[in-house]
Amino acid sequence: MASATSASFPPPPPYYRLYKDYIDDPKSAPEPPPPLQESFPLFGQHFAIDLVLPSLEDQGVRQLYPKSPIIDFKKELTSLNRELQLHILELADVLVERPSQYARRVEDISLIFKNLHHLLNSLRPHQARATLIHILERQIQRRKEAVDDVKRRRAEAQRLLKESLLVLDGQLP
Amino acid sequence: MDIISQLQDQVNAIAAIAVDIFGTLQKDAPPVRLSPNYPEPPANPSDENVNIPELTKTMSGALVQAAKKFDTLVSALPLSGGEEAQLKRIAELQAENEVVGLELQKQLEAADQELKQVQELFNQAADNCLNLKKPI
Repeated sequence: MASATSASFPPPPPYYRLYKDYIDDPKSAPEPPPPLQESFPLFGQHFAIDLVLPSLEDQGVRQLYPKSPIIDFKKELTSLNRELQLHILELADVLVERPSQYARRVEDISLIFKNLHHLLNSLRPHQARATLIHILERQIQRRKEAVDDVKRRRAEAQRLLKESLLVLDGQLP
Repeated sequence: MDIISQLQDQVNAIAAIAVDIFGTLQKDAPPVRLSPNYPEPPANPSDENVNIPELTKTMSGALVQAAKKFDTLVSALPLSGGEEAQLKRIAELQAENEVVGLELQKQLEAADQELKQVQELFNQAADNCLNLKKPI
C-alpha cells in the first residue's frame, strides 16, 4: 500500500539539478522565467493579465446610479437600498392585484441587485490602496523602532566598553 | 471580516429574505374566492397551523432589519479621500520608508562594524590572557 501511494505522486520537475552550485555561484543556474505580458491559457481557459472590473454596460446591464468619475458610494448605496425595498413592496402589490405582470418587477429587482454588487465590487480597489497605506505605515513604524533599538544598544555597548576600560586600568573596582 | 464582504453578504441576505417571503406566502396562502357565484372554498386542514398575519409580520420585520443593518454598514464605510489622495499618500509613505530604510541600514552597518571590532579586541585579549598563563 505504501508503494501505491508513493507511485501516485508525480516526480518533481527535473530541472532542480541545474541549481546544484547555486550557493557558490548564483549565476550558474538559469534565471526564473520573466512575468507574462499577455493573456495566458490554463486548462483550456484564457485568463487576462489586467484585472479591471468590467463596467455594467460591458456586461449588458443598465446602470442605475449616475455615471461620473467620482461616485459618492454611501449615498448611492443607501438610495439603491431604498429603491430595492420599494420594488419589493411593489412586487407584493402586483402579485395581489395583477399577478401575471410579475416578470417586469422581478427584472427590476434583479437589476437593482446587480447594480448594488457592481458598486461594492468597485470599492475593492479603494480597499486595496487603503490596505497598502496601512501596511506601509506599519512598516515605517517598525523600521523606526528598529533604528531606535539599534541606537540604544550601540550606546549601551559603548558605555560597557568604557566601563570595562576603566576597570582594567584599575580606576574602578 | 472586512466591511465590503459584510456588505456583500448583507445584500445576499436581503435577497434570500425577499425570496423566502414571497415563496412562503405563495406556498401557504389559503385558497381565494374567485367569483361571487361560487361559495367560499374550504380551507385545507394543514392551513390551520399556519398563521399568515403573524408570518407576514415576522418576515417583513426581518426584511426591514436586514435593510437597516445594510444602511448601518454603509454608514460605517471608511471612505476617506479619493483615488488621487490615496495615491499621493502612498507616494509620501514610500519616500519616507526609503529614508527610514537607509538610516536603518546605516545603523546596522555601523553596529556590525563595532561588533567586529569588539570581537577582534576580545580575541586579542583572550590570546594575551592565554599567553600570560604559564603552562604547567
